Amino acid sequence: MSYVLGLKCRECAREYPKDVLFVCEYCFGSLEVNYDYKAIKKNLTKEVLLGRPKNMWRYKELLPIDKDPTVGLDSGYTPLIKANNLARALGVRELYLKDDSVNHPTLSFKDRVVSVAISKAKEFGFDTVACASTGNLANSVSAQAASCGLKAYVFIPADLETGKVVASQIYNPNLIGVEGNYDEVNRLCSEIASRYRWAFVNINIRPFYAEGSKSMGYEIAEQLDWKLPKHIVVPSAGGSLITKLWKSFKELKELGFLEKVDTKVYCAQGQGCAPIVTAIKEKSEVIRPVKPKTIAKSLAIGNPADGYYAVDTVRKSGGWAEEASDEEIVEAIKLLAKTEGIFTETAGGVTLAVAKKLIEQGIILKDESMVICITGNGLKTLEVVTKSLPRLVKIKPNLASFEEHIKNGAHQKISENKVIEYYI
Amino acid sequence: MARRIIKLTFPKDLIKEPLTFTMATKYNIMPNIRRAKVTESVGELVLELDGQEQDLDKGVEFLKKSGVIVESIVGDVIE
Repeated sequence: MSYVLGLKCRECAREYPKDVLFVCEYCFGSLEVNYDYKAIKKNLTKEVLLGRPKNMWRYKELLPIDKDPTVGLDSGYTPLIKANNLARALGVRELYLKDDSVNHPTLSFKDRVVSVAISKAKEFGFDTVACASTGNLANSVSAQAASCGLKAYVFIPADLETGKVVASQIYNPNLIGVEGNYDEVNRLCSEIASRYRWAFVNINIRPFYAEGSKSMGYEIAEQLDWKLPKHIVVPSAGGSLITKLWKSFKELKELGFLEKVDTKVYCAQGQGCAPIVTAIKEKSEVIRPVKPKTIAKSLAIGNPADGYYAVDTVRKSGGWAEEASDEEIVEAIKLLAKTEGIFTETAGGVTLAVAKKLIEQGIILKDESMVICITGNGLKTLEVVTKSLPRLVKIKPNLASFEEHIKNGAHQKISENKVIEYYI
Repeated sequence: MARRIIKLTFPKDLIKEPLTFTMATKYNIMPNIRRAKVTESVGELVLELDGQEQDLDKGVEFLKKSGVIVESIVGDVIE
């Protein structure tokens, strides 16, 4: 049974049927899924949830599909970790990490939105899905299309690093490297989306795709026993995740799962691509597009589709925003690994680095609860940290060599994460 | 005739310039304003443009050269 009433323009509130539409034909505002919350309230309760499997579809009434999901059945319900070691390092009392670096199947938050997008694409009768991506989205579309037998076209910049190409190519999509700059790839993909009858996940079925992000918010609330943290730090690329987390909290309140929503939402971006942070700091209602220049490639969106709405959400919640330099991102990735044993990609580094700054600035108070969203896995961006790690310590394959090494203070170095290579 | 939908961002120093009008008359383009927002420091305009394909290209290029940021209304699609 579907609880979706239709689509609604976020600018002028005009209503549209539940169809393959993404902009308002009057004002060109983006469209959003509108639900029948009264009906959902009758059928979705905390007790009902107790009997459901631990994946994102346990909240299926609040996701925009009409039938049961057909792909990404194990996505979501990632760990919410109480990070005591990191909390000590940052000097805060109560810190949690929402760890989507272990999301199924491709180790990033994108598995949530793609699971919804492809399930919906199948409902609409598409036989081909597509996306343009430099990383996580390409991986997830390639993998999930393969798992449900849909054709996939994945557009990437032609000069993308080999490792990132392999992580999509292995699933055998139609992988196409576009020779052109960022703007040209963007423009080509928009033209392809309007010409071919494909489900371009973040273009023509974007209203449905974006709703998948809400599952992260439901999970955080449920994992905290139906309470929200006082602060939540969220990485931003297109700005959608921030707005959808907020929407998820508001929905849970409307359904009676939460007593109140008093969480402050913070936007984290990389220095060199921080149009949303800039707008928040300048108190501007207009996002000024930028040319991205940051190591946080998964957040490098210079013209964010949901930028204005992200700014609005942060403001409404009473939150704030900060940006992290490339050096701060790398240091944060290492800090997370060292304290909590979690290896995140650059987006997670941005979020932690920004959280640290906000704590140091006294904006996030040390005795209040906070959640940091970790949205991707460090194995995908090895090149970013490789140079900053200690060199490999090598010894001969005998005890004397090892003990010589130890005598020189190696036991301390080992505890500092040094690696020892044995010749066997 | 061809049609194009674009989002224009005007930096502060260009807000007072009649660039949309100039583009329309110079390249025989019919602009239809669908949405607009102007603040102290920046202006944003969502336009539907009708004209010959080559004129639309020239018009958009004129705006870019004048210092206006021209973008797709759906934002960047590479994620």
